[in-house]
Amino acid sequence: MKRRIQITRFLLWSSLFAFLAPGFAGQAREPQDSEAARDFKPFIDRVRAYVKMEKSLEASLPTLKPTKDPAQIVEHQQSLAKKIADARRDALQGDIFTHEAAERFRKIIHRAFEGPEGHLARKTMQQDTPFKVVAMHVNDVFPDDIPLTTTPPTLMQKLPELPPELAYRFVGRDLVLKDIEAQLVVDLIPNTLP
Amino acid sequence: MPTIRCSAFVSCVALAAISLSLYAQDLTLPLKPDSVRFAAIGDMGNGGKEQYAVAGQMVAYRGKFPFDFVLMLGDNLIGSKDPVDYQNKFELPYKPLLDAGVKFYAVFGNHDISNERFYKLFNMNGQQYYTYKKSNVRFFALDSNYMTPQQLAWLEKELQNSGSDWKICYFHHPLYSSGAYHGSSVELRLLLEPLFVKYRVNVVFSGHEHIYERVKPQKSIYYFTEGASGELRKGNLTKTDLTAAGYDQDRTFMLIEIAGDELYFQTISRVGLPVDSGMIRRVAQAPGAASWPTVRPGHGGLPGRTVATAIGGGLTRALTATE
Repeated sequence: MKRRIQITRFLLWSSLFAFLAPGFAGQAREPQDSEAARDFKPFIDRVRAYVKMEKSLEASLPTLKPTKDPAQIVEHQQSLAKKIADARRDALQGDIFTHEAAERFRKIIHRAFEGPEGHLARKTMQQDTPFKVVAMHVNDVFPDDIPLTTTPPTLMQKLPELPPELAYRFVGRDLVLKDIEAQLVVDLIPNTLP
Repeated sequence: MPTIRCSAFVSCVALAAISLSLYAQDLTLPLKPDSVRFAAIGDMGNGGKEQYAVAGQMVAYRGKFPFDFVLMLGDNLIGSKDPVDYQNKFELPYKPLLDAGVKFYAVFGNHDISNERFYKLFNMNGQQYYTYKKSNVRFFALDSNYMTPQQLAWLEKELQNSGSDWKICYFHHPLYSSGAYHGSSVELRLLLEPLFVKYRVNVVFSGHEHIYERVKPQKSIYYFTEGASGELRKGNLTKTDLTAAGYDQDRTFMLIEIAGDELYFQTISRVGLPVDSGMIRRVAQAPGAASWPTVRPGHGGLPGRTVATAIGGGLTRALTATE
């Protein structure tokens, strides 16, 4: 009887762990140590708050579904960008990339670019870096007529995961947090590349 | 302006029809019953007259080889992306194909923006990366601009579930390339190649380098770069050990046919010349076995030097298959 209780307990704990583990895994990839987790927490919270705001603003627009009419796509993007920029008219650089998070990002990026795969990450970036580097600011719309710099894929594996509405992009030496629906600069860390 | 585009298009189709009459006999694809037939184009969306000429050639060749769909290997809309650009850089050049019900399945290039995924004619269904199946062939359309851990996990799961289908991956940045301008995307290769090998991907198509190249099998996987269906970097193919065949003297597109365990391919230039062709045989194998197939060089116009002779002088970079 005692043994049966032990087995049942073990099974219960195992299922609880299996249920919870994916939820934790989905949050932030890099912060394995508690210091990093602490530094990233405000960033992750602010990212979530941003996406929540973005979703509520988007809900006031006609829903964008796959369409044959490109005007609808362009119109949706421009309207959403305007609504977000209005709602965040007082937003400043560093509002989402908090100081502590920005320092963590710098460390991760420096390690990635100076480590054994650093030359590959550099090569990835050099491949697509546009000749014309535009200085970006919070709430700027990404110009659509210059190529995007590919975010080094090995670095991507080390940064905190973002919701699908946002992406990390390098513009020049700056790391930009980009809203991919609105094509808008949400925040940036200047001079992150070593 | 649209009138000028239309007349340019009509001229291109006429030119393609004339050249087809000269070269269509060189079609090497076997047209087997119930085969999967498609085309592949990359780096095409600049709206230039060469893109229109390649499109015209595709229309003409479809008369001989009725393909059902087209892989778009990225840089679908180069430069501005106003509504009129969707028209001039996609809808107009490929209008006869679209009207005939040919479907286009796009991936992003570094010149594309993610909102293109909502454009119905690109068949991305709002997704940055996606998969679809045609008969016994499973296609994996990836976003190589932004290879997140989520995308890699998704790819692994989908590859795992794809069973015994042909597995064809396509994305913009080539893992292996002899192009002088960008070269191989080695960093991306570190992440993707282990999955391709583990789950026995058969063939990979990419663009980005504005040339055509067929790479010698790498770890038993066949790699094609088709990045010259609108853009072109003439003379940009360097001779390396990677190259099985290549062409950098004019714009090109590919035609592919899969029948059972055989994949036939033919690459055709803007003026209708066959640039490369061949057949890849997929060998059914036990799990864990190492190797796949062999390319049988194509019939007739395969590749390089024949073409070089036909076009005339100075095409030293049109290479001959070495297998």
